[in-house]
Amino acid sequence: ILDDPDLKDIDPTVLKHCHAAAATCILEAGKQKADISAISACLEDCKLDKERIEQFCTEYQRRELVTVVSFSIGRSPLHITDVSWRLEYQIKNNQLHKTYQPSYLVTLNVESNDSGSHPDVSFSCTMEQLQDLVGKLKDAAKSLERATQM
Amino acid sequence: KLNIGVDIIQHGVEGLVYLLTESSKLMISEVDFQDSIDVLGFSDELNKSLLQLYLDNRKEIRSILGELAPRLPSYHSLEWRLDVQLASRSLRQQIKPAVTMKLHLNQNEDQTAQVLQTDPATLLHLIQQLEQALGEMKMNHCRRIVRNMK
Repeated sequence: ILDDPDLKDIDPTVLKHCHAAAATCILEAGKQKADISAISACLEDCKLDKERIEQFCTEYQRRELVTVVSFSIGRSPLHITDVSWRLEYQIKNNQLHKTYQPSYLVTLNVESNDSGSHPDVSFSCTMEQLQDLVGKLKDAAKSLERATQM
Repeated sequence: KLNIGVDIIQHGVEGLVYLLTESSKLMISEVDFQDSIDVLGFSDELNKSLLQLYLDNRKEIRSILGELAPRLPSYHSLEWRLDVQLASRSLRQQIKPAVTMKLHLNQNEDQTAQVLQTDPATLLHLIQQLEQALGEMKMNHCRRIVRNMK
């Protein structure tokens, strides 16, 4: 805003305050999911004229992006975004020959809010263990489905 | 009690240990084992005892050797729970479903537990991917390899 030619003549400090005030207003109203009538009433109390109130409300209506961002802000445990797997068949190792053991290597790709780092979780498992894991995940999915039908 | 020097007994024990671990590691057949010890020139009775010792203990020795192999953390179990986020500091009046999980892994006799979270869409994706992984074992390619590598 500081570069906008139309606003050149206004004191930059005042401009910053105005911008901050407007942004805070929109964020707070959005946070509470306030509707237009509530905002208008509030702005009327602040002695803003009708035209200004209408303009503000029109801009406020276009706040989907702000809501989306607010929605995603917040702490949560590490969030799984994807999974990769590998099936291997072990023939021998230096301690033991003729092992003949299939195993799965599963990596859960994880995203953390804090640093954007990717502390992936990897583990190996047998077919039975993978079946157990998938069974449990399916239970969770089924109960999600049931919850949405309530 | 045996009236032999400590050194000799130590060497004897070490020799026995080496014989049994190497034989178990390679999983050699009875015939091969007998051929190998015949070279040592012991009495028939001793050879028979050694063979019996090998056969009796090789399963246990192999399972102990199996523990020594390099390993990634392995799956132990999974607990899960359904959560719905209703509000956060940045946004009120939400309905945000999530599945929170506690993944228990074993690493070299330590058990670790990691708390992870995922959304419903990713959960379904995880299930689909891991079911595909399980399906691979049943494919002809895998079956052929497992059959031919025994």
